[in-house]
Amino acid sequence: MTATELLRVANVTKRYDGVYALQDAHFSVDKGEVHALVGENGAGKSTLARIIAGATRADRGQIFFNGEQVSILNPLDAQRLGISIIFQELDLFPHLTVAENIVIGNLKLEGRAFVNRKHVNSWCRPFLEQAGSVNDPDAMLRDLPIAHMQLVAIARALSLEARLILMDEPTSSLFGDAVERLFTTVTRLKQSGVSVVFVSHKLKEIFRICDRITVLRDGSTIGTRDTSATSTNEIVTMMAGRPLKGRPTKKSAASNDVLLAVSKLTTGKIQDISFDLRRGEVLGIAGLVGAGRSELGAALFGLRRLISGVVRLNGRAVRITSPTEAIGAGLGMLPEDRKLQGLMIQMSVLENSTMAVLPRYQSWGLLNRQRELGAMEAVHRRTALKAASPDVAVSRLSGGNQQKVLLAKWLLAEPAVLFLDDPTRGIDVAAKEDIYEIIGAAASQGMSIIFVSSELPELLRCCDRIMVMHEGRSVGILDGALATQEAVLALATATAQPLETRPRPV
Amino acid sequence: MSRRPFLWFLSTQLVLFAACHTASTGGKKQFFVAFSQCNNAEPYRAAQNALATKLWGRYRDVKLAISDAQQDDNKQIAQIETFIRQKPDLLIVAPNERAPLTAVMSEAIRADIPVICLERDILEPNYTTFISADNRDIGRRAGQFIVDYLSKKYGRPRGDIVQIRGLLGVEAEIARNDGARDVFARYPDIKIVNDAVADWIQAKAKDRMTEALRANPHIDVVYAHNDPMAIGAYLAAHDLGREKEMIFVGVDGLGGPNGGIKKVMDGILAATFVYPLCVDKAVEVGNRMLREPNFKPDKIYTLHSTMITSLNAAEAYKELTFDN
Amino acid sequence: MKTKVVNTEPSPPAVGATPVPSSHRVNRVPARRILERFQALAALVGIILIAVALSPRAADGSNIFLEAGNLTDILRQVSVVGIIAVAMTFVILTAGIDLSVGSILALSTSVVAMALTRWSPPLGDTGRIALAIGVALAAGAGVGAVNGAVVSVAKIQPFIVTLATMIGVRGLAKWLTDNANIDIGFGQDVPAVFAAVISRKAVVIGSLLVMAAVFWLVLDRTVFGRYVRAVGDNERAARYTGLPIGRVKIWVYTLSGLLSALAGVIYAAENHQGNPNAGIAYELDAIAAVVIGGTSLMGGKGSVSGTVVGTLILGILTNILRLNNVDSNVEMMVKAVIILLAVTVMSRRPSE
Repeated sequence: MTATELLRVANVTKRYDGVYALQDAHFSVDKGEVHALVGENGAGKSTLARIIAGATRADRGQIFFNGEQVSILNPLDAQRLGISIIFQELDLFPHLTVAENIVIGNLKLEGRAFVNRKHVNSWCRPFLEQAGSVNDPDAMLRDLPIAHMQLVAIARALSLEARLILMDEPTSSLFGDAVERLFTTVTRLKQSGVSVVFVSHKLKEIFRICDRITVLRDGSTIGTRDTSATSTNEIVTMMAGRPLKGRPTKKSAASNDVLLAVSKLTTGKIQDISFDLRRGEVLGIAGLVGAGRSELGAALFGLRRLISGVVRLNGRAVRITSPTEAIGAGLGMLPEDRKLQGLMIQMSVLENSTMAVLPRYQSWGLLNRQRELGAMEAVHRRTALKAASPDVAVSRLSGGNQQKVLLAKWLLAEPAVLFLDDPTRGIDVAAKEDIYEIIGAAASQGMSIIFVSSELPELLRCCDRIMVMHEGRSVGILDGALATQEAVLALATATAQPLETRPRPV
Repeated sequence: MSRRPFLWFLSTQLVLFAACHTASTGGKKQFFVAFSQCNNAEPYRAAQNALATKLWGRYRDVKLAISDAQQDDNKQIAQIETFIRQKPDLLIVAPNERAPLTAVMSEAIRADIPVICLERDILEPNYTTFISADNRDIGRRAGQFIVDYLSKKYGRPRGDIVQIRGLLGVEAEIARNDGARDVFARYPDIKIVNDAVADWIQAKAKDRMTEALRANPHIDVVYAHNDPMAIGAYLAAHDLGREKEMIFVGVDGLGGPNGGIKKVMDGILAATFVYPLCVDKAVEVGNRMLREPNFKPDKIYTLHSTMITSLNAAEAYKELTFDN
Repeated sequence: MKTKVVNTEPSPPAVGATPVPSSHRVNRVPARRILERFQALAALVGIILIAVALSPRAADGSNIFLEAGNLTDILRQVSVVGIIAVAMTFVILTAGIDLSVGSILALSTSVVAMALTRWSPPLGDTGRIALAIGVALAAGAGVGAVNGAVVSVAKIQPFIVTLATMIGVRGLAKWLTDNANIDIGFGQDVPAVFAAVISRKAVVIGSLLVMAAVFWLVLDRTVFGRYVRAVGDNERAARYTGLPIGRVKIWVYTLSGLLSALAGVIYAAENHQGNPNAGIAYELDAIAAVVIGGTSLMGGKGSVSGTVVGTLILGILTNILRLNNVDSNVEMMVKAVIILLAVTVMSRRPSE
């Protein structure tokens, strides 16, 4: 262990039910460095981070912190050492305020009886600022979008005076400004001697901000590289064990007839949204977090009360007041949070896949397993999903495969319009590619798709047009040719003139 | 992973083993007497159990098991069924209610087990012998005592009576009510102004009596089907300051500091009727059934009761109080 | 409620589209599922072995516990609560609960006894019996439907709704019968025939087995059964998938009321009386059986076969304690300990 090393883990092994999540993995972090931990889903990086943070215990292995061997058996042990972790699915309390979330169970406040709200809020403010959060400490956590919640989690870690902060996929819900703010925070932390471990897929960001990169594959450490001495290709090769396949060019499958016409749609959080969606078109929706993209999906799907506006399907006006009606009208929705809103987590792959159209597979009132399996296998081939068995509970699948099950469910339902809310969040590179292909294939078969995302590159790649939203309004719809990252960003941050919100006549 | 079910298995076995062994008695038994009691919580029943344990205990070759159905028909049915499986040499049953217990007792008969039905009867004669006391006679004598008292009080037979009844549908309650009414029917000026039901329970009787007191400005006699209810009525009257206005008559006449005889001695009850526990007769007859294969008991044994008033209370107390 | 941390990599085999040859990607997942399913069964086998070991012996040395008569006794004794528990499984699978089952049983016994003894429609013996049973079942189903409607439309928590029904229906039963038992005699009249036929061991045990089989089939093989589990697993996701949540909930509570009424009909026949005070605390026995059988009170996970096993475990337990003449009060304590042990072991899921 060198003098600059802060943390070293060696020979870490962890098994889940006879399968190795980690096998003799090793990893080390220096003081004041930003170190990336990368790998495909299933490589073991989240497990390793959790072990370091005390959320899980390794079966074998040693952890050294500041030169001494330590035993980290639970999160409190880690916090006392000065290790904090920010999870991808945050562990915060939705029914408490921002300040309460920071203060609750906080080691640094042990023994004090804080009743004074002002006192609590002012204690929290510096950490919130440092984390880049603009929220009022009195705001209720569940009212915030996920990205804002994440910043609160970072603020809490800062309040615990962590010397090592692990961040598991921290930018997966951040966009534009927020990412920059996070990077600024990370740089500030580094300058003050705090080390940051970045568990992430996003190589571009990693190459921007991290000093070193460690690659895991199949539970073992493949190698560590200095960022300045390596390239994206080398890292990707190490991750996948094979070079990344080239990206095919996209061709538009959109026809000319308008399937869905939305006119001046207004709810509590969005105003005057209008756009047309053609058959077979992929319409992207970009915007900063809080711009109202998910809200639009909820409104279309019957989950919100419409204050005004008209929605027309195939020329006929429809009134949709519940998800059942929406599905009946031919709409489908993949929600933002697949675990909370999309999957029946204890039920099997088969059961989740066929859930939306289950009555199809009955004979004489009883479900016909053969027909169900047949339909499931057919659709899973389209999504390139290979699960161990159709009866496996979906909780056991990786994030990418869970998302594929959800997609399969909607593909089986054959909606005319499918709304995808951040479908590739927290999914590894290879699975993402699969999903882009699925979207393209579905569109070419006539399905219209609305694709909400925080990742501009994928929107630019998959979509025929991109509608940009800002603070509940639509500020422009960019045609494929005109859409560049800069143009979209400019609109999204309202630094450009809003374009005509009506789509150009075709 | 395979450790967990095994651990469960082991711990369950230990718990059961411990439980079962607290119940076992050492030594070889020759006769097994099973007694299915309907509700240990009633003082009358507790006295029955105590007497049964004492009397059967005199025989070294008899093992006695008493089960408590806690006033639950289904439980008693199941307990009797389980007794039947163990093939006792004698089964004694104190039925909780008439209708529910009838069928299972015929099961016992069919299994060639001698059955003694104790104190409460059932709908069909599914027993070898039925030992009870004559409740109707008790009712009549109570009625007569009340008539005599009222005649002395007013110079002629007239007065207002509150009756507090036991669990409806039980033979004792029906008979004690009918017997008293047999007597009252002859005197048109003697009226039952309030007919309350308190399920043999003192607390319920107190509540019912409170209602009766509010509804009737004048009461001469309270006739309760058992002593606890009579005492409950007394307490209600005492709370409203009216206990001197009336007399209280009960049934059971148990000894000991909590029993009815003591209450007669203390002047709370004017009279009570010793309701025989029936257990001594049951042990006597049962013992003969065990040891004399040719003995044919009577189908029904009816035991008589003694009236207890202030005249004979002290003597009765000494005789009927055994160390439970 | 804390937003749970969910590990996106619970089991490393990235069963995705990138097949990378690896020696330690063993898929043992199906075996795990089977083992969990058999946990309840293993417990049942375990307790049978214990019962056999602790059983007293008859004069001729045979094992009393294993006697056919005793075994069928046990089945008969658990049937009434077992029938209730079978339907309770569905309710609990939707993450609900039904506390009113005991009161519905009491109502049913009262209604069937009253119909038999006080109505004389010109229908012939079988007709009258069928009518009486039909009215009792309808009453139970009706109460259940009310429960379901209030839960799904007014969106009040099932605990509170069924608690209110528990109290109200008990009051209704007492009012209808004037708080008195209604005796069914032993003669040849219609009520007596009803009691004689329905109380036969074969009928009682058969009812339990038939109901268990039917409900197992519905849960495992029908669309409705799948929806029941889905609603309990994740109601929000079920809503977003367009499942008919309201209808599902109304049906599960209606079925619970219906089967409680069936249990009540059997109770009336076995006890030869209608009893408005019957069934007190039966809801707890039923819930205990369901939980021991492996169904989670949080919904989504469970099975009818598990409930049957749970019911049997409780029945065998009680039987072996009684065969050994253990004091009834000790019996209750032992049962409590066993239930706690069983639930603790069952809930220790191997995956963290």
